Amino acid sequence: MIDFSTSSARRRQRLRLVRDRLATLLISACGIGVVGAVLAIGVFLAVEVVPLFTSAKIEQAPAADQDMRDISDLQRTWLRPTSTGAFVARTEKRFADLGAGPLAVGETMLWRADGRDLEVFSLAEGEPRLLGRVTAVEEGRRITALASLVGGRALIVGDDGGGVRRWVMGPDSVLPIPTPAYRQAGQAPIRVLMPVPDRRLFLALNDAGELALYQALAGLLWTGAAPAGEPLGFDAEARLLWSDTTGIERLVVDAEHAEVNWDTLWRPQHYQGHAESQHRWQASVTDSADEPKYGLAPLAWGTLKAAAYALLFAIPLALGAAIHSSCFMSRQLRHRLKPTIEMMEAMPGVVIGFVAGLVLAPYIERHLAGAFALLLVLPMGLLVGGWAWSLLSPHLRQRLPLGWAGLWLMPWLAVLIALSLWLSPALERVFFGGDLHLWLEQVLGLDYVSRNAMIVGLAMGFAVIPTIYALTEDALSGVPASLGEGALALGATRWQTLWKVLLPAASPGIFSAVMIGAGRAVGETMILLMATGNSAMMTLSPLEDMRSMAANIAIELPEAALGGTHYRLLMLSALLLFVFTFCVNTLAEVVRGRLKRRYRRLEGRS
Amino acid sequence: MIARWGRRLRIPRGEGAGPWLAAGCVSLSLLMVVALLVLLAGRGLVYFWPTEIELVTLDDGQHFAGHAIRDEPPPRGQLGVSQRLYHTGNRDLHGEVWRWVDIERIASQARPADLVVVERNRWGDFIGRVAGLQEQGRDLALSEAERWPTVRQRLERVVRLREESDALREQVVEPLAKRLAEGRWRDSNDRESLAAELEAANARVLAVQDAMSRDALVLESVNGRRVVQPLQGVYRILRPNAMSGFDKFMAWGRDVWRFLSEGPRAANAAGGVWPAIFGTMLMVMLMSVAVTPFGVLAAVYLNEIAPQGRLTRLVRIGVRNLAGVPSIVYGVFGLGVFVYGIGGTLDEWFFHDRLPSPTFGTGGLLWASLTLALLTLPVVIVATEEGLARIPDAQREGALALGATRAETLRRVVLPMAVPAMLTGVILAIARAAGEVAPLMLVGVAKLAPQVPVDGEFPFLHLERKFMHLGYHILDVGFYSGDIEAAMPLVYATALLLVLVILVLNLTAIFLRHHVKARHGALQR
Repeated sequence: MIDFSTSSARRRQRLRLVRDRLATLLISACGIGVVGAVLAIGVFLAVEVVPLFTSAKIEQAPAADQDMRDISDLQRTWLRPTSTGAFVARTEKRFADLGAGPLAVGETMLWRADGRDLEVFSLAEGEPRLLGRVTAVEEGRRITALASLVGGRALIVGDDGGGVRRWVMGPDSVLPIPTPAYRQAGQAPIRVLMPVPDRRLFLALNDAGELALYQALAGLLWTGAAPAGEPLGFDAEARLLWSDTTGIERLVVDAEHAEVNWDTLWRPQHYQGHAESQHRWQASVTDSADEPKYGLAPLAWGTLKAAAYALLFAIPLALGAAIHSSCFMSRQLRHRLKPTIEMMEAMPGVVIGFVAGLVLAPYIERHLAGAFALLLVLPMGLLVGGWAWSLLSPHLRQRLPLGWAGLWLMPWLAVLIALSLWLSPALERVFFGGDLHLWLEQVLGLDYVSRNAMIVGLAMGFAVIPTIYALTEDALSGVPASLGEGALALGATRWQTLWKVLLPAASPGIFSAVMIGAGRAVGETMILLMATGNSAMMTLSPLEDMRSMAANIAIELPEAALGGTHYRLLMLSALLLFVFTFCVNTLAEVVRGRLKRRYRRLEGRS
Repeated sequence: MIARWGRRLRIPRGEGAGPWLAAGCVSLSLLMVVALLVLLAGRGLVYFWPTEIELVTLDDGQHFAGHAIRDEPPPRGQLGVSQRLYHTGNRDLHGEVWRWVDIERIASQARPADLVVVERNRWGDFIGRVAGLQEQGRDLALSEAERWPTVRQRLERVVRLREESDALREQVVEPLAKRLAEGRWRDSNDRESLAAELEAANARVLAVQDAMSRDALVLESVNGRRVVQPLQGVYRILRPNAMSGFDKFMAWGRDVWRFLSEGPRAANAAGGVWPAIFGTMLMVMLMSVAVTPFGVLAAVYLNEIAPQGRLTRLVRIGVRNLAGVPSIVYGVFGLGVFVYGIGGTLDEWFFHDRLPSPTFGTGGLLWASLTLALLTLPVVIVATEEGLARIPDAQREGALALGATRAETLRRVVLPMAVPAMLTGVILAIARAAGEVAPLMLVGVAKLAPQVPVDGEFPFLHLERKFMHLGYHILDVGFYSGDIEAAMPLVYATALLLVLVILVLNLTAIFLRHHVKARHGALQR
């Protein structure tokens, strides 16, 4: 075989091949890198969240820190009974005249245990003054240890059966209110309760030598055997000093995010200063005596409530619009309509939010009756319009065809809307005694907040309509033409064809459209930030406020300390949003893919 | 009987109520879009129109002058009278800028031609009359007819002088001062001459400023209270009642231009939005520089190189879904990874001396652009992929059959054909990025950025600086400014601007996509 290629041609050939390899490699690397980087979002969020759920433990401090003779920074956070009475470690103030029972001291209160009873003293006037008594443990038990948590508004009671229970100050009574008992670490009597300084953590040591770590809300975190000897107090780094005959040992309490676990996030909690358990999100506290309240439930509720109202508004409109444009609208108009609706999708959330929050909300507050009337007036008006159309002369009917109804109905609807809003004061006078807000409050017991779920529903519905519309329209117009034509040929009207043939065939597509719309509604931030008052309430009422996860992140993340519990919780809400939307969208995408294949089969292709 | 009526009332031909309800949905959606656009356009553009000043006399003989803003019915549930809101200006005289008046109490309204609106650097607008003109503290003797032309003449002089002093300061004084401060001189002689030059320049600036402060207006409110207003602190004087329609139109045009080209004043509650426009544009440009190559490469990889198996399909679904992930999540990612992660590390490596005040370890232009690039990556990937999929396989096969390698096929055949699709993707990405605010709140937008990210100082483009953004400006002015009544028109104007930018971008993308479809036909797969 003769090789015709000269050496230079061969070299060129090789160069081309190398270049090809290089290009392929580069593109592959970039492509995989990009895809990987984008998918890394979920990984990053998960990594940031994981420390929240690591379990707490108590361990010996490293050897380098152990051998320190200096214990001048020692701080004892509990009162130790002595033979004559009791004293406060820090202030050395004596309360000898109160007897020998366990004592605990808050800012203005002093508690003393007397058998089964708890006595509450006021410290406001210098000398303790008895305010009241309450029975704190069940029959046959005895209080053996007391301690107050930071801020002095929560009291821990330990008994001789090993039970530990938190009592909190109520909003108005001086007597503390019990919260459910913690899970017990052992059966032996509690000897001493040791609150960790400036944290809502405490350790309980019982007579059997078992040491247990509790968090005020999360409950029992860790149990283990206590070292021999006696606890002395905490040093400046919140390590527990423990002395026995040989020397001093330091124990590290490793429980950075102990106040958060699955229960405290999602179940109602009894926070101090409140009469009963509740869901509450109040992460930033100004005073260290205040307890941060990390309940995610109100935020999740707000997110879902806003999304639900938005969908309630958007689904009928978007589906109706898609049905009309795929079955009835003239081709010409449809080609113009699609870009218009797409532009509606591109409308920035901040503009919609501004209009909803600052223009629409005050306006609807003033014309509430008219706005409610619209719910009735618009459909009725449309039907009346259709009926009037059918009475028109054939010539006029031809001039106003159904295919263009989307356009020529606009002035009619505008007139209807203007009319109901104009009639709003009159409606209020006639049906609601002049003031609908008062009527709502007195008759239905509903509060009205200016920026409420209804406004958000409207605004976010506006943002979601285009998404649902476009996907539904795709699904409907993708149904193989032969199906619809068959139905029409058998004498069905267009509406019957649609209802009996097209909608069932396209229903998975419509489902996926709604899912994607829901995903968008759940993650929308600016509209919720601007069109609600952002107070975390858990009501179903469309006239009340809420706070969504996304808006909460936007508000609080810039101020959250890096790596703190609050910061990680916001990361957790971001992760939840991510996972939720990702799952919903994947589901929708899978359904849509299936549908496409089904259509192809129906059309007889492939 | 009823049956007969029923037959009569039945819609004769047609398909029942359904189609009408469906048509109503289209109409309602369109109506909402139209209403939103009309609202923004109307309120946003009317803001700049010079409204006439009313001289109102109340039934008790009091009078005041102001712009009528709107009427409001009595508060709900209460009997009362409708009220009208007037913008009366003159904060220095009565401490209030707004005034509610019971409409019943208005005895008469007039629009005298000699009323003026003076826009000042302090105390907001003045509404009243020009009573006279002072030159170095002495009143000028001017007849009524001469007064107005003289005022305008003197104001033009002040504007000229202000430009002159600004130019002097920027072009002469600041460079000299910088050279001196940084010690860039050859020898001591040079240094002395530089110092002398600087002194001379400073003296010139002072002289110009002195000349500016020569004149002062004597303003008189309609109640007869007088204020002496140095002409130096006056931006604009209008006599709206004496202006013709054309004059008003010209004034409107000037105001629109000032809105677009000037910076904000009075804690964002007045003035223009130029820094916000600039910040938005710059951020979006940086973002598209970052997103285009990576988006296109990823799309090419997914569509042309990766084996088309189950895994690729899953990845494709994943990428598509990322377009639906909430933008705030990207913001959180940007904050955690770019700002705290990479930014913090950069600070430790290169800007150690400035710690603990962060350089890159806080939100800034670079991190904002990268975050938005990540956010818009799926948009670019999806659009490019769609464009690539539309290219008929015959084209690729033809090139390969002629002996081209895969890289050559890509570069010479496939990519050129996919350019419109890529452009569509990038434009859609830009449109999305321009409207996105939530992630920016976490990674670098500022209420008021004193320094624009681009200036004459090395390295000219300051990626670590915070910047202003149109969308955030809307949020800030609308929700966090003190005087919401005064801020609303500004918010409308800003919102209109933002919407216009985004609409234009989207229309371009739609046009391009249409072009692609017309060229390659419908999607093949």
